[in-house]
Amino acid sequence: MTAMGTPVAVASSDPWSQALLSSLAPAAGPLEAVQRRGRAGLTHQAMPSRRAEAWRFTDTAVIQAIAPQLLQPAPEALPACGEGVWRLRLDGGEEALADQAWPAGLTPLPGPDLELALGQTLADTGGREHWPVLLNKATAPRVLALRVRGEVAPTLELVSEAGAGPGVLPVRVLLLLEEQARLTVLQVHRSGGANLTSVVVEARLGRGAHLSHGVLAQGHPEAALLAHLAVVQHPDSNFDQVSTAAGWGLVRVEPRVLQSEGSAATSLLGLQAVRGQQLADTHSQVRFGGPDGTLEQGHRAIADGAGRSVFNGAVQVPQAAQRTNASQLSRNLLLSDRARIDTKPELEIVADDVRCAHGATVSRLQQDELFYLQSRGIGVDQAARLLLRGFCAEVLAALPAAAAPWQPLEHLLDQEETGDPEGTGDQEETGR
Amino acid sequence: MSSATVGDLVSQPYKYGFITEIETEKIAKGLSEDVVRLISAKKEEPPFLLDFRLRAYRHWLTMQEPDWAALGYPPIDYQELIYYAAPRQQQKKASLDEVDPALLETFEKLGIPLSEQKRLSNVAVDAVFDSVSIATTYKEKLAEDGVIFCSISEAVKEHPELVERYLGTVVPANDNFFAALNSAVFSDGSFVFIPKGVACPMELSTYFRINSGDTGQFERTLIVAEEAATVSYLEGCTAPMFDTNQLHAAVVELVALDDASIKYSTVQNWYAGDENGVGGIYNFVTKRGQCRGARSKISWTQVETGSAITWKYPSCVLQGADSVGEFYSVALTNHRQQADTGTKMIHVGPRTRSTIVSKGISAGHSSNSYRGLVQVGPKAVGARNYSQCDSMLIGDRAAANTYPYIRSQQPDANIEHEASTCRISADQLFYLQSRGIGFEAAVSMMVSGFCRDVFNQLPMEFAAEADKLLSLKLEGSVG
Amino acid sequence: MIRSDAPILLEIRDLHARVEDQPILRGVNLTLRAGEIHAVMGRNGSGKSTLSKVLAGHPAYTVTSGSVLYRGADLLALEPEQRARIGLFLGFQYPVEIPGVSNLEFLRVATNARRQEQGLEELDTFAFDDLVQERLRVVQMDPAFLERSVNQGFSGGEKKRNEILQMALLEPLVAILDETDSGLDIDALRIVAGGVNQLAGPDTSTLLITHYQRLLDAIVPDFVHVMAAGRILRTGGKDLALELEERGYDWVDAELAQPLAGAEVG
Ligand SMILES: Nc1ncnc2c1ncn2[C@@H]1O[C@H](COP(=O)(O)OP(=O)(O)OP(=O)(O)O)[C@@H](O)[C@H]1O
Ligand SMILES: [Mg+2]
Repeated sequence: MTAMGTPVAVASSDPWSQALLSSLAPAAGPLEAVQRRGRAGLTHQAMPSRRAEAWRFTDTAVIQAIAPQLLQPAPEALPACGEGVWRLRLDGGEEALADQAWPAGLTPLPGPDLELALGQTLADTGGREHWPVLLNKATAPRVLALRVRGEVAPTLELVSEAGAGPGVLPVRVLLLLEEQARLTVLQVHRSGGANLTSVVVEARLGRGAHLSHGVLAQGHPEAALLAHLAVVQHPDSNFDQVSTAAGWGLVRVEPRVLQSEGSAATSLLGLQAVRGQQLADTHSQVRFGGPDGTLEQGHRAIADGAGRSVFNGAVQVPQAAQRTNASQLSRNLLLSDRARIDTKPELEIVADDVRCAHGATVSRLQQDELFYLQSRGIGVDQAARLLLRGFCAEVLAALPAAAAPWQPLEHLLDQEETGDPEGTGDQEETGR
Repeated sequence: MSSATVGDLVSQPYKYGFITEIETEKIAKGLSEDVVRLISAKKEEPPFLLDFRLRAYRHWLTMQEPDWAALGYPPIDYQELIYYAAPRQQQKKASLDEVDPALLETFEKLGIPLSEQKRLSNVAVDAVFDSVSIATTYKEKLAEDGVIFCSISEAVKEHPELVERYLGTVVPANDNFFAALNSAVFSDGSFVFIPKGVACPMELSTYFRINSGDTGQFERTLIVAEEAATVSYLEGCTAPMFDTNQLHAAVVELVALDDASIKYSTVQNWYAGDENGVGGIYNFVTKRGQCRGARSKISWTQVETGSAITWKYPSCVLQGADSVGEFYSVALTNHRQQADTGTKMIHVGPRTRSTIVSKGISAGHSSNSYRGLVQVGPKAVGARNYSQCDSMLIGDRAAANTYPYIRSQQPDANIEHEASTCRISADQLFYLQSRGIGFEAAVSMMVSGFCRDVFNQLPMEFAAEADKLLSLKLEGSVG
Repeated sequence: MIRSDAPILLEIRDLHARVEDQPILRGVNLTLRAGEIHAVMGRNGSGKSTLSKVLAGHPAYTVTSGSVLYRGADLLALEPEQRARIGLFLGFQYPVEIPGVSNLEFLRVATNARRQEQGLEELDTFAFDDLVQERLRVVQMDPAFLERSVNQGFSGGEKKRNEILQMALLEPLVAILDETDSGLDIDALRIVAGGVNQLAGPDTSTLLITHYQRLLDAIVPDFVHVMAAGRILRTGGKDLALELEERGYDWVDAELAQPLAGAEVG
């Protein structure tokens, strides 16, 4: 019973999607066929509502307040890019992707190969008809599709900067890692206004391949981010994801990983922070298609103001997946009495020789830790800040080094300091 | 150790599968407003109760049936069930001597002797056979302390004001599909009332026996502990082996006022169906306790070994400040059994505390799920919860699922959840064997070790019995 | 104590065993007579623990050829628990932890299983309590350990003492102690050695697996065997252990390089 796989049972579209569809130019360009399919999908499937189990806690009001049109890119200045980093902007015009001198090991996927590969990973992980994916298909004019061979030296930095303008910014990426290939990717999503960044990333890891995938998402209280990530891992491959998101009115991160034959290593680290009226939601799904796979998952959330954090972590260990070793830990800090945390691990196990442990904690900052710092002369605010920093540090430290110029910690903690809009937190009662 | 051999161990014939030949009064199949009225009339109920039933029935008609197809089970035809079946005897007997000897014998065979000479010395028993209570022991002795322990039908007649005050206040008639059905047609069950300041002098126990093959059992239990009262209550359940499924949809309501404490233990061993999943009880039960008073405490302990399908989430609504909820559960599934069980701890009041310890053991092709909710509301300052859910898998065809929900709106609350999955490791088994302990004994030692935290919560008289029940289920023929 | 006319308790003949597809024992020969104390030494990985586990009947190991007679009867045909009941005891190098299973209960069930085999009456909880208290003294163990789960959270040394306590309760005829000395502090080593000496008698036999002379100072062996690459390469008296302490195992390589040399008695 995977709630995530269930399409939303509404037969027709919603006004927002309709308005978006009618604002779009006719399908054209390299993804013309994909656009058609996505648009057809959107006319049959409405934006998910809280009636659907997988969206029960995820209010899409923020999206509905965003102008239903494509975002006109107005590139803003970015921080200087670090050493050993190869930056690519995925928000600009066509020229951004054209005729790059690619670093050794990266080659753009030629048309016919692209046609074969695009969407396959989504299908394997069950996300093809998922609304956020349809939205991306309907709108994305292009895809960054790369074949990866051998060890790629520079970190590939993929930036989408939505700026303050209105509308939808689609980003689509496909990465095919051949056997033994190694690649580090840092995706940066930024927004400064009422817009929606729609991201779909597909990655296939051949035998022995290694993909480190960092996501740094720095948002705006009126902005939304829907990031869907589909990964298929072949044996002996490694997939490490580190994802941090803060500042978004609505952010939903959906990593879905399939270890096609098991025997691979998956690591998912996540950190999300909410305040004000923000909502952050991580829905992850890891499935072991064969024996000897490992998963290490750590998810952390900080909820302040009237913010809301949701975590739903599905781990599926079917009978074929003997000797799976999976652990999942969800740690949550609830800092305000108007904030909310919902966390729900979902473990489904049909193999006897497995080690699966999971845990969850929800609390405020530890009183005795605060007290210890205070007793050494540190003021309570600073002590709290130190502890928060510690809470975030473990995840942030795992981000690719290329993240440094973006000042991830400062961004997170600033989020924590830009005064909570008191009074706006109209206490919505919990319905149950 | 090959897990196949451990699997073999978990197959023990059901001991309680016999049928009692007794003349039974049944009403015609099917459910309608007339049937509801008929049940109420048969039980000579006051108007408030008929009203309650009718409201529930009308609501039930509007409710959506759970999706059976998704589970691979045929839908239940509610018009094919019989809603009232009772051994034919005119009135509930004042004295045990007048009870049909066949019934007394049945309970004796089940290990529950009721006669004065043989009955358990420190346990009062209410024996329920199909739809009605046939005997309650030690009533008079309990009455000396003001404790009321009787069937709910008797309570309706003798203490209507208490029943009216509390019935349906914890589990409203429209709570869910099965609770609504139960509210409309419930036949009998137990009623317990412990007055202010009284510590109930003995264990109370109800033994449920389903005998008829085509009858649904819809019993209703209501336990009220007034201020500073305490009680420990245990229910046990068995049924004959039929190759059809019987529906058992009970409702249990507990109310604890200030400083009161209720301990509710269940040893559930309904017929589980055969190894191919034919027959067995559908056990869909709504159990909920309300800690209304400050410092009150409700503790659920369950040992679930039977039933083809179990859906059951004994819950605590922690309203009173400093109230405490506990849930200790062992669920063993084998063959094609499905158990979906867990608890809800709803923290409403300040400094409320809850503890959840769940141990699931899945063998054969069975599926065993823990589904729980810990909810901490905005007023539950200083609330605490600790949950631990462990699964043990025997064989590689059984499923163990864990769905622990946590929802918190209270920063000054501490919630901690831990879960693990294990199997009986070959090395541990070998260690025990190398000390001369036989394979079977070693397996059941490990299983009861796995369950120890829960067994420790059972009343003394029953802890050994539960242990025995598990090892019975695990006993078998190994070379 | 060597008496050539003492009855043979355990006779291992040309024993070969493998784990999964990997052969580990490659022809072990060893005879234990009543009253004898044997020490087996040898490099890490030479197969000492494997030998002990094969004797105890661990299911992970498959005997491919050879035989083991326990008091004249085929030992390998028996289930592990049966071997224990008739008096074979293995003190594990790494005793496992068994959460939830009470140590006291475990000891009682095991003791009674052995007693039943011996034709002795079963001990009820009270009688057993008395016995345990008495045997605890042999290993000078805190009774508090009885209340805990089997080996759970025990320190390395505590686990080893718990093994000797089990030995004291089960009164085996043949005791195999696999590195019972490792992890013990100096006092504990003396206590354990004292316990083993106390339990060893003219009718029993002990096989000590160890790396260190200090254990053999406390429990003086009648024979010392050196194991290498899955067989016993050399057998000698207690002096062989001293020689090993001095020379190490390098000579083993030279000897292994030669075709099967008969074990010389030194
Ligand atoms: N279950 C097993 N699976 C794989 N290999 C094994 C297994 N058991 C033993 N072996 C291998 O067999 C060889 C002998 O192991 P054993 O434990 O008998 O050595 P040992 O002589 O007791 O060593 P030590 O002195 O370190 O205790 C080693 O190479 C070991 O890795
Ligand atoms: Mg060893």
